[in-house]
Amino acid sequence: MDNTNVETVPKLKRVLQKFQKIFRSDANIHEKRIQRRLKLVNLITRRLKAIKIILFVVGYLWMVLIPFPHLGRGTYIDENALQPGQVNTQWNWGDVHVADRYLEQLEHVRDANYTSEQRATWLREEFGKLGLSASTQSYGFSTSTSNSTGTNAYAIIASPRHSGAEAIVISASWLSRIDEGKGTINIRGVSTILALAGFLKRYSYWGKDIILVISDDYLEGMQAWLGEYHGVSQSGKSVRSTQEPKADLTTGLNAEPLKLASGVIWTALNIDYPGHSFSHLGVFFEGLNGRLPNQDLINSVERIARWSARVPVILYDHLDPREDAPANVVFSWMPKTLYEIADVKSYLYQARNVIRNVGYQYNGRGSGVHGLFHQFRIDAITLFAVPATGPHGFHAIGSLIESTLRTMNNLLERLHASFFFYILTGPQRFLKIGLFLPSAILISVAMMFHGLSTWVDAAWVQEDTDNEVSEKAASTTNKSTKWRQRPRPVIKVLCIMAVTHIFGLVLFTVISRPLFISNYQVLSPITFVVFSGIPLVIRLIPQPAPPTGAAPASSVLKALNLCFASTVISIITVLNFSLAASLTIPLGVPLVASSTSSSILLRLLKYTVYALLGLGWLIFAQDEMVKSIWYWESLRVWFAPFICIVYVPLLLQAGISCIL
Amino acid sequence: MSLTSKIPSTPEYPSFASIFLILIAARLWVSLTDLSDILKHDQQLSSPLTSFSQLKEGIFLFNHDIDPYSGGSFRHSPLLLSFFVTALPSSRKLASVLWTCSDAVGAWALVRIWRARQNVRQSPRDVLVAASYLFNPYIFLPSLALSTSSLENTLLLLSIMFACKGKASASLFLLSSVIHLSLSSAIMLLPILLLLITDPHSHIASPKPLSTPLKKAIPLFGEFVAYMVALTLTSTLVAGSWSWIPQTWGATLTLPDLTPNTGLWWYFFTEMFDHFRPFFLMVFTVHLFIYVVPVCLKFQHDPLYAVFILLGILGTFKPYTTLSDPGLFLTMFAIFPEIYPYMRYPIVTVLLHLHASLLMPLFHHLWLSQGTGNANFFYASTLVFACANGAALVDCIWPGLMIAIGPRVEGYSIVQE
Repeated sequence: MDNTNVETVPKLKRVLQKFQKIFRSDANIHEKRIQRRLKLVNLITRRLKAIKIILFVVGYLWMVLIPFPHLGRGTYIDENALQPGQVNTQWNWGDVHVADRYLEQLEHVRDANYTSEQRATWLREEFGKLGLSASTQSYGFSTSTSNSTGTNAYAIIASPRHSGAEAIVISASWLSRIDEGKGTINIRGVSTILALAGFLKRYSYWGKDIILVISDDYLEGMQAWLGEYHGVSQSGKSVRSTQEPKADLTTGLNAEPLKLASGVIWTALNIDYPGHSFSHLGVFFEGLNGRLPNQDLINSVERIARWSARVPVILYDHLDPREDAPANVVFSWMPKTLYEIADVKSYLYQARNVIRNVGYQYNGRGSGVHGLFHQFRIDAITLFAVPATGPHGFHAIGSLIESTLRTMNNLLERLHASFFFYILTGPQRFLKIGLFLPSAILISVAMMFHGLSTWVDAAWVQEDTDNEVSEKAASTTNKSTKWRQRPRPVIKVLCIMAVTHIFGLVLFTVISRPLFISNYQVLSPITFVVFSGIPLVIRLIPQPAPPTGAAPASSVLKALNLCFASTVISIITVLNFSLAASLTIPLGVPLVASSTSSSILLRLLKYTVYALLGLGWLIFAQDEMVKSIWYWESLRVWFAPFICIVYVPLLLQAGISCIL
Repeated sequence: MSLTSKIPSTPEYPSFASIFLILIAARLWVSLTDLSDILKHDQQLSSPLTSFSQLKEGIFLFNHDIDPYSGGSFRHSPLLLSFFVTALPSSRKLASVLWTCSDAVGAWALVRIWRARQNVRQSPRDVLVAASYLFNPYIFLPSLALSTSSLENTLLLLSIMFACKGKASASLFLLSSVIHLSLSSAIMLLPILLLLITDPHSHIASPKPLSTPLKKAIPLFGEFVAYMVALTLTSTLVAGSWSWIPQTWGATLTLPDLTPNTGLWWYFFTEMFDHFRPFFLMVFTVHLFIYVVPVCLKFQHDPLYAVFILLGILGTFKPYTTLSDPGLFLTMFAIFPEIYPYMRYPIVTVLLHLHASLLMPLFHHLWLSQGTGNANFFYASTLVFACANGAALVDCIWPGLMIAIGPRVEGYSIVQE
């Protein structure tokens, strides 16, 4: 600052100038600034290794701490319009008797071995007897893994108070979720729906159409019904409707069009009540492709069950050991006294919930029939009546559904309010997005830092043209003189990366062929050998020598590989946190650890480790692979193509960077 | 720089024409798949001012003797309307072919610009330049979605190409038609005039004041005004009244349609109270034009470089952007290889673009298909995209200034006083 006319400068400015003098002194401002910047850069670069390690440790530790009982908060109702449990329910013992009568008839239907079509026709007639418009829908599914056919039955209770622009679905699949729909019949669930049909029709306060769906099989029936419902009648989704015909060709779904239609479905409840009675109601909520329903839906059901229907609600079928003594688990590795500490017990219980959630979410399969609704932006959950000898039955579940429907009936707009990102650690406890998302992001940041530092390091090389002695002498005074910048072969590395991703696409095309699926036990190991061997074979072909003085392709490949992997992880977090968190394990530390070495044997060993990490599922998880392919072909769950086209190439790139 | 010294000799390089044809054939093959029908409605690829379905609606109304500009949905220029009604096809497959041809012409123009800048008849880099236009996803995808912004890009590139060749009339006529299609492109006028009175060769490393007197640009400007007036009258003739002006140019200035796009305007004006609207519309519009004179002053020794930078500003800040606007800017990096060694943080820019280009479709999906996100999500991703474009702009302005100083010397750093 120059000496300006002191009189004209206001007092405040003079004070400011004084302060500036103190901080900037007389030295050149620019010089100071450059020095400050250098200092900062030095500070970071010198501690980069420590920063990276801290980020990794904090990230992984955070993930482990997600079920910690003191993290997170109690659930609450965010949408004031819902007003859960504020109505008197009308469902009474007379309706329970009706349900019991339906149950008897259904048992007859079951024992008489009705075909799907006969069963659906019977259900349609029962709905018809109640005066509802009802219909059936036949479908056939043929994918490269399996074929199935069936018939759905559905009925619509037209809203007496509204035009039917919106709808709520109550559904029950014929097969229960026990053993993933392997054969237990959801017989009381279906009876509940039938009894509810007659009951709900009696009341005039419905502002939304109520659609009752009894879908055949476990998932297939509901998928056929939902697909047709949205392909034909929901014209609001114009983009989807243009895609639908094509999607149908590839999914191999051949469904009869629906004869009856209603409005936009906002929410759906799926009832699963296979046993004689139940002790708890389990909530299953994970949808396809990692989508979660609005938390208000779960919270409303939980509150209604607790205060109105007086049924305890649990997550999945996990009984809370803090409330039910029989649910205490004995861990052989853990002394009983340690287990009895409240926090440890809570942690283990919540960890069990979180792990179950991750297991349903990461592969995008969802946790049941309700998951299918999520493809069409419908918030849906399954209420699972945990089989027990008592004390609850039709009375509790009927009034719970009635009250929940009344609550959903209150909605004037879709559930929104960003209440879609959460981890439920217990039926009344959850973590907000800010409390779990950073764990995966921190790891991705650490990977990005490592990638960037590898990238920068690749550009510099130590000159060794000078003799050793003079260099040693120079190193103390001026270190930077012996560093020379060198070009990095970016185009070549990008080509390698692109080729690996195309390679992944080829792999996916191969494993989703019907021929492969039908002989997968034989062909998978062969595919593993072929696909992990090809990069090695290509490596053996003599290549043109790299230009002298350029950076080695391996380190540039490692840098770009890490940057890309980090981007993938951080972006997947918002779409499917469980998948992102799972990816941090095989991608986090392993990709950072990749490096070449002088010994050929060690290089090959490293490559094999990466190949196993990337493609090992071809040998060790064949059943899961076939299932994932089924989910992709029939339900468009993108986990299988993601693994083949993104995950496998990322690990192969790391492997290639070891043998380059 | 080293490329200029190479003597062009045809047999050494693989024939440019044949590779170019292969590239176009690949493009054509993709454009004839069903991909186009899926992408057609994507808001990131076509804005209300450039959407093909809205163009078809306008053609339909026009053919049924209804003034297409009387409603609020058709905002394309009457020039496009008249072309599509009379000469050009409106069926989807033929349109895909037309759009691919337009991109091919654009790529060819870019190659000609590159050659004009290097002052060579052919170079080994030609194929790379053409491919960087044809296979830049930011340009490819809007073209697949049949966004008319692809046509605007082609016209603009042709205009720049003619300016490089010194063909003033062709260049100015094309520029005025680009401005008719998209008013914001008016910021390209000054650099193109400068380009016409100087030459396109790379003088970026040797800054000097403009050698030719600015007076020479005045008749050119007059010619440009004449073309503008002629095209305006033609448009009025086509539309039958002046009502097209508020619907096309007016839309650029007053932002009546707040359909989300990749730009920075829509969210801001969605959130704004109505009584601030006129003021901020003025601020945003002026902001776009504020860069023209400083950039042209600073890079008066190399007007093609000024064109490059202003394309970046246009792609980042214009209303109703589609991906093809920043796409054109990013592709232009291919014709300035001399700046690469001086770029500051190219990897950061690339990673920002990688993040933005993955986040935008993802958040768009979360908001509008999956329903778990909301408008703020998509807006946040467009902010990341704006940062990425800003970083790319810094990555072209910084080396453009540094190249004159020369390579970095260890232990020294450069500051601006």
